[in-house]
Amino acid sequence: MLRVDGLEVAYGDLQVVWGVSFVVPEDSIVAILGPNGAGKTTTLLAIMGLLPVKAGSASFKGNSLIGLPTHQMVERGLVMIPEERGAFTSLSVEENLELGAYTPRARTSRTETMEEVYDTFPRLAARKSQSAGTLSGGERQMLAIGKALMARPELLILDEPSLGLAPIIVEQIFDVIRDIRDRGVSVLMVEQHLEMALESADYAYILEMGSMATEGTGPELEADTRVREAYLSL
Amino acid sequence: MTQLILQSVVSGILVGGMYGLVALGLALAFGVLKVLDVAHGELLMLGGYASFFAFTFWGLDPFVSMPLVFVAMFGFGVILYLVLFRYVTRTEIHTRIKNSLLISFGLVLVLQALAVRFFTADERTISTAYSLEALTIGPVRVPVVRLAGLVVAVSAALALEWLLSRTRFGRALRATSEDWTRAALTGVNVRRVYLIAFAISAALAAIAGSLVSMGYSISPSIGLGWTLKALIVVVLAGLGSMRGIIVAGIFLGLVESLASVWLGGQYREVVALVLFLVILSFRPHGFYGRAHA
Repeated sequence: MLRVDGLEVAYGDLQVVWGVSFVVPEDSIVAILGPNGAGKTTTLLAIMGLLPVKAGSASFKGNSLIGLPTHQMVERGLVMIPEERGAFTSLSVEENLELGAYTPRARTSRTETMEEVYDTFPRLAARKSQSAGTLSGGERQMLAIGKALMARPELLILDEPSLGLAPIIVEQIFDVIRDIRDRGVSVLMVEQHLEMALESADYAYILEMGSMATEGTGPELEADTRVREAYLSL
Repeated sequence: MTQLILQSVVSGILVGGMYGLVALGLALAFGVLKVLDVAHGELLMLGGYASFFAFTFWGLDPFVSMPLVFVAMFGFGVILYLVLFRYVTRTEIHTRIKNSLLISFGLVLVLQALAVRFFTADERTISTAYSLEALTIGPVRVPVVRLAGLVVAVSAALALEWLLSRTRFGRALRATSEDWTRAALTGVNVRRVYLIAFAISAALAAIAGSLVSMGYSISPSIGLGWTLKALIVVVLAGLGSMRGIIVAGIFLGLVESLASVWLGGQYREVVALVLFLVILSFRPHGFYGRAHA
């Protein structure tokens, strides 16, 4: 579904991503893991057209993404929830969800999608008219996911979905992410929270210093001594 | 004395409505694009001349030509954005303010020079059959043209508020003004939002110009004065609400008007600038409020 090949990204003279390659197959959860500063977020932003790509390619459903404006990626079904959650605090919960269905493709099914989102997150339904700025951290992440679902994604990209959330909320969020995959939406997520991510992901890559250090399925990576020593407190 | 004060209050409110109207466009461009367009007053000046010439050459009543002026300046706004401000919005938010100041100040000089060249430096006013009419309420005279200006200003603010709070495009505007990156990730075509917001801002300036050319007067050099008033209003009101901007405009008009009664006309501008400094000292964040909280 998403194929990234030899991606290189630099902020001016400072190169942070050095030839990153990975694939996200259909109906699966793929995780990119690694320490802070490894270039995970940079990779995502470059794919989404928000940072210039120095070299390499990225394609979605066979079409190149390089040079495509971000809003057109959303129209094609590639939707990203940024680390800072993506909901707008100056809009109400419902306005955020409506805005989520901004693209012409998503607008046609807006009412049904909104019902689905409220079914998935009843707490959002209870807070419909509240400003998104008054939500708790967990609710805000639910709103961010709800808003992204409103865009009718085929591939959902999440940047650090667990960041700053209580463990119990993190569990819920990962349940929802698996549920989204089971409904036929592929998921690409970036995480620092390795254990949790490896449990949910069908396949994972470990990014270090701007290039892929290793990759494998959850159990494979958990069995890898180097990964265990470096990242997992097993 | 009472009559003088009452009359000043009325004049202050009426001119204040104009300050508010000019500030609406400035606040829209600043709130959404993070572009500080000091040539906003020159766009007002151009709008004023457009109405003036439409009246002089074609005998078009300024209220009739107002929608045409609005559309024409919307178009001019599109061109200005595409030729100049588009490049400013490609930079980081903090660089935008500096760059837009430089670019729009250049635009001020160019538009002023062109206006002197083509329209001459003469002061102009549109005099229609009803220009001198006024409502007399007790001891106070309310010039109808200026009253119409206030009505247009309030209507523009309400229309803008409706656009922001009730329409799909308005939500996109608010989202873009809060964080353009996240708006893009939501599927909003941020460049188009910028283009339209800037064009609306220019068109609002032109409407104000049209009213100024009737109720007051226009000349090639009036722009910066109006921009300055609008800046003070935006600092007073923040970018929070369109209605708030009109209220702040009226407040500034009142303060100026009463200051010139009590302290003398020469203190009019001084009082406004002192107010500006006081607000900046005590409420410096007024400027960086949300475009629609």
